[in-house]
Amino acid sequence: MKRGGVLALWVIALTVAVAAMPRQLSPPPFKWLPAGADLVLTREMTFENTSGRLGILNADGPVNTKGHVFFQPLGTNSRACVTCHQPANAMSLSVDTIQERWRATNGKDPLFAAIDGSDNPSAPPDRESSHSLLLNRGLFRVGLPWPPVQNPAPEFTIEIVRDPTGVNRDPVWGLKSARPTVSVFRRPRPVANLKYVLAPDNGVFNVKLGVLLDRDPSTGKPVSMNMMADARAGTLAIQAESAYRDHQEGKAQLRQDQLNQIIAFESQVYAAQIYDNSAKDLAEANGPGALGPMNLFREMAGVLNSPAKPVFLFFDEWKNQTEFRQSVARGNDIFLNRTFWVRDVAHINSIGLGNPAKRSCALCHNAVMSGMDRAPGWVDLGTTNFPTWTEPKTWNEAGELPVFKLTCRPEARPHPFLGRTIYTSDPGRALITGKCADIGAITMGQFRGLAARAPYFANGSAKSLIELVDYYDRRFDMRLTAQEKEDLVNFLRVL
Amino acid sequence: MKRLSPVTRVLVVAILGTSLVHAQNLSFVTCPIVRDTKTVPCWLAEYNGEIYYLGNQGGVAQDFYPPQLNHEVLVEGTIAEGPRVCGGAPLRPVKTSVFLEINRACNTILPVEDGIEAPARAPARDPISWVRSDGPSDTTIYFDFDNDFLSLHATTAVQRIAEQFQQTKASAIEVQAFRGSSRLSNGTELLEQAGIAEKRAAKIREILEGLGVPKASVRAIAVTDVRRANGVDDPWSRKVTLSVKK
Repeated sequence: MKRGGVLALWVIALTVAVAAMPRQLSPPPFKWLPAGADLVLTREMTFENTSGRLGILNADGPVNTKGHVFFQPLGTNSRACVTCHQPANAMSLSVDTIQERWRATNGKDPLFAAIDGSDNPSAPPDRESSHSLLLNRGLFRVGLPWPPVQNPAPEFTIEIVRDPTGVNRDPVWGLKSARPTVSVFRRPRPVANLKYVLAPDNGVFNVKLGVLLDRDPSTGKPVSMNMMADARAGTLAIQAESAYRDHQEGKAQLRQDQLNQIIAFESQVYAAQIYDNSAKDLAEANGPGALGPMNLFREMAGVLNSPAKPVFLFFDEWKNQTEFRQSVARGNDIFLNRTFWVRDVAHINSIGLGNPAKRSCALCHNAVMSGMDRAPGWVDLGTTNFPTWTEPKTWNEAGELPVFKLTCRPEARPHPFLGRTIYTSDPGRALITGKCADIGAITMGQFRGLAARAPYFANGSAKSLIELVDYYDRRFDMRLTAQEKEDLVNFLRVL
Repeated sequence: MKRLSPVTRVLVVAILGTSLVHAQNLSFVTCPIVRDTKTVPCWLAEYNGEIYYLGNQGGVAQDFYPPQLNHEVLVEGTIAEGPRVCGGAPLRPVKTSVFLEINRACNTILPVEDGIEAPARAPARDPISWVRSDGPSDTTIYFDFDNDFLSLHATTAVQRIAEQFQQTKASAIEVQAFRGSSRLSNGTELLEQAGIAEKRAAKIREILEGLGVPKASVRAIAVTDVRRANGVDDPWSRKVTLSVKK
């Protein structure tokens, strides 16, 4: 064969080989990863956001999404797990991304599936207004059975006071439907850094309530009860099954090998901001030990805040560096040491710590590297319950979220700081336990990759980190100065 | 730590009992007061014009669980000798029981004041504890009034009993739960809610079973008799006893 012919064969062979290879992704890779994608996620990836870049670490190595259960549609609505847990958004989903998807697909993306991507599954699915909570606040509908499965004789009754989406009064989906359901609206949690989320508190007890922790039915071991906003699922397997059923509208049951693949992927993925436009490289050698996804991979989970090992370790080396880095270091100090009166927080001030307690942010956000609560972290911070909620001042004003009036039975243990008649936009843990004392209790989330996944709080009420800090400032009369607020925001955004 | 012999234990209990009888005991219901200091806040309570010191802000590993503003508190204590602490006459031992119903009038936070300091943090295990272990097989847990909450030390004690049962291959764990009452210093008698003993028994049973003790091996009973309050050792009447049987 002539030399030219050999070369041509090589070119053809190479072209075929390249075409057959999954696309290797390098930064910046993709912004949106659709369900059913056929790609290889590299071990380390970065994604731009307004503050800098988020880092994703697949600790077990590259992940081929082709045929991978986490990335493939499993149910009946063309969604996959990845639809709501996007790598670019720290394995959660930002409102910016949601709005981009709406624009790019004219609302046809499976993300907007009526079952929970709409304010009310009965609303016209093509209208933007039918998806207002998802588009404006990043909220998905969570429909929970009433009375709770766990407690068929709940301690309180529920009345609907305000139902702007119409779903709670809907004849098919509502509280008075054939399958009585309470719909609340919540943000998707990041599916990353899960060893920290799943690490159970020391021992077998929920120290806050003086009862046993829930257990993993397959292993019998205690679980952290920190994964979901209302702690209704204790394990990744249970969560995956429920997400398959409720969010992907799956009709069968996931097989064990499918569950295993989901769990294996979720257990090895780490997400954290890796570059900040002002602080620059967050993962540099000899930098703060908590930053970047690699440090999350290396550190041990289940460690409680202590002087020897503070929640986000040490930022001392930044105290003499650029102005921005100094601000971050001050923010860390405020987070750890700036005391204020933590007051009227159910499951914090009612569990033996006293009300009020003069402590810092790290009283509740005490788990090293994640900023979650090492004990089961559902607390009524006040974001969902009147009068400290994030919604309009009074319940008869127009608002985006539903409002429920919960009336506790006289013999029930009341909510420690709100009593027996409570107006709430999300009863939280109480929709699972049926307990009055749990009304408004929401499990606190992790602090990582925040810059990639606004808005914040489980109800998406804080559009930015400054709004989040402002809420705490108002709620606890912290009297933060403008500089302190800025320091806290800068600190949070590099995590 | 060296374990006391049964005879010594009896003597200690007798001496403690005698001292309780002769010391001035107080029981009252009031709004708790928080005193801010340069370090940690102190918890105080006023009765008959006198301020009493209850304890400091601490953590869940402490024996003293502070009261809560927005709630009244039942204070049962003995006036201790010695100087005032954080501006109050110290009560020791002291049991504080937060009333569940809300009282918004309970809202006093005193500011930091020169010369009023919080005492150094108490050791995690106070010598007078609300959990008493008499050897590895017998434990008594004392409860707040009208409450079945188990503190960190109480849950640890229940766990130890379950472990003792399993390690010794015992036949049973006997659980006896009691409903108590409290005589206030003004003569009023407070009786715990009906059914509280049953709740305490059920809770301990559930935990023991959750820890692997077979259901048939947990003999839990709620004692129906209520001991008459005397205003002296009433906090010790609200209890659950656990005993591992061979």
